[in-house]
Amino acid sequence: MSTPNIQINGVSVTYDHKRVLSNIFLEIEAGKIYGLVGPNGAGKSTLFKAILGLVEIQSGLIRFGEQSVEEWRQKIAYVPQKDEVDWSFPATVLDIVLMGRYPYKKWYARLDKKDHEMAMQVLKKVGMADFSRRQIGELSGGQQQRVFMARALCQGAAYYFLDEPFAGVDITTEEKIIEILKELAMEGNTLLVVHHDLATVSRYFDRVILLNQRLIAAGDIATTFTDENVRKTYGGQLSILHKLKN
Amino acid sequence: MDIVEILQSAWAMRALLAGSLVGITCGLLGCFIVLRNMSLIGDALSHSILPGVVLAYVLVGQNLLGVFIGSLAAGIVTVVLMTWFQQNAKTKNDAVIGIVFTAMFSIGVMGISYLSHTPGFHLDLKDFLFGNILGIQDSDLQLTVLISVVVILGLVFLFRPLFITTFQPTIAFTQGIRVKSVHYALMILLSIVVVSALQTVGVILVVAMLITPASTALLLSDRLHRVLVLSGLIGLVSAVLGLLLSIYAQTTPGPAMAVMATLIYVLAVFFAPRKGLIKRWQRQRRQKLKVDLEDILKESFKLQEAGELGLKTLITKISIPAPRLKKLLGYLNRRNQIILTPDLSLTPEGISRAQALVRAHRLWETYLVNQIGLTEDQIHDEAEYQEHHSPDDLLDEIDAKLGYPSIDPHGSPIPPKKG
Repeated sequence: MSTPNIQINGVSVTYDHKRVLSNIFLEIEAGKIYGLVGPNGAGKSTLFKAILGLVEIQSGLIRFGEQSVEEWRQKIAYVPQKDEVDWSFPATVLDIVLMGRYPYKKWYARLDKKDHEMAMQVLKKVGMADFSRRQIGELSGGQQQRVFMARALCQGAAYYFLDEPFAGVDITTEEKIIEILKELAMEGNTLLVVHHDLATVSRYFDRVILLNQRLIAAGDIATTFTDENVRKTYGGQLSILHKLKN
Repeated sequence: MDIVEILQSAWAMRALLAGSLVGITCGLLGCFIVLRNMSLIGDALSHSILPGVVLAYVLVGQNLLGVFIGSLAAGIVTVVLMTWFQQNAKTKNDAVIGIVFTAMFSIGVMGISYLSHTPGFHLDLKDFLFGNILGIQDSDLQLTVLISVVVILGLVFLFRPLFITTFQPTIAFTQGIRVKSVHYALMILLSIVVVSALQTVGVILVVAMLITPASTALLLSDRLHRVLVLSGLIGLVSAVLGLLLSIYAQTTPGPAMAVMATLIYVLAVFFAPRKGLIKRWQRQRRQKLKVDLEDILKESFKLQEAGELGLKTLITKISIPAPRLKKLLGYLNRRNQIILTPDLSLTPEGISRAQALVRAHRLWETYLVNQIGLTEDQIHDEAEYQEHHSPDDLLDEIDAKLGYPSIDPHGSPIPPKKG
């Protein structure tokens, strides 16, 4: 079963009188992995936050099919950037993964054996089952990223929002995450990934969204991820273009 | 009257029970206050209830329910005022908290001192500021028990929502968890705990019972369940010890409890099993020992290669003071890496260990020049540090990445990997 597309119609976001996103029109389809790229300050995270209802939008409309984001909260998994997490927090790997079950529980209800089994199952899937009792700060960067991936899986979400999941992780983790993302896309889920390494865009994603406050282009990698579009997105920063050629 | 007799009297029993309950509830709730960086709010709320108490006293006299409702109302007014100023005045958030709570507190203090001139008025400012646990009545105790039950049940049922909204409020929100409702629930629990702590420790020191045991517990464990239990226990112990101390030394109980809580905290800062300072110093000493031993081996190896190894030359070549050097040489001798008599000489085991270090140093120098692009005179210190801190598999990876070089940037040979 595939879930409704995300429709972004003429969305603008302004922070303190400064326009961060300007008149964005975009449709995000289920079953595809989208890479969201653009220079620093292009509004990538803001677009995420707008879709998730975390920032107020000045104008425009965002819909999940016919419905608002509120109807889909249970099925939304957000994997934050690593430096937004307080790694000294007294929480274990298992604690974090179990949080994926919270949306299915009444606020006063206890977690049961089935929740724990699901958590252990997804931990096994990301290769972290042996670390379930570790405090989250005791893990390497890659392991930390896999734990948050496991939480998203444990939630059984339909919409996955990942903010730079490949930043500062080892190759094994990178491949593992990509493998899982491809699997999720095959199952008809919607995947949106903020990414900054242009060299890997065509390998990881089905589609690309090029953003620099305005939407520069969006579509299949082959037709959209062209030199010209990349140049338009990054403006004068030609060193990045150079990197793309390698 | 000796202390055993005192403790058998009814007022002391009541004080002990009330103190224990307040210690436990403050300890439990305090964990979330500390983890949410809300220490200042806890302090602010406790000070701010004073005008509510005074107003209740004026309206309905010395009535517990009145005091309770008055405090809660003052707490709500405070939160509303803070939110309004934070959203409408361009003042920093923590400054607004400070402005509002000192204003509320001052109004309360002025009210009490004004009313104290009226005949028949029995409010003592000191009791509010520092508590009056020894004057606790049965009705006060009943309220404290009731509040403790409500707070503990509240925390049990709200545990998961509090956990996730404390750890990652943004993500909790995207998952559909009512972050704001959880926040207000916590603020309500906080307000009623403050009311119950009013008689025990007073408004000024509630914050000590909230944040000190919790901070101690956070030094002792990094599992949230355990942190909560420990914090409750530490709160309990601080309250009981503080009360005993105050009876023994005939001082005010509230401050004695706060002092006890701080004492336990300071002990934890030094002696906590994993996060304590003593443990950290031990780790640093062990690290220094490792580096010194490795430097001795490496220097001895170079000297032995040149045919110059001896205690006298080693002392001049190495920056370790002679007495420590001699001690460490004895240590290496017991590890069977160096022979001390007739003069120094490395054993085969010592040589192979030293070669591994030279290999690490020269691989790092090569890496820093070839891969990072540093020049030859920039690399020595960094390589000197890295050679002591690189596990074998990391070195192998560097070796492979460099294409198994045999000469370092200074032209010295890189020893091959052993074994």
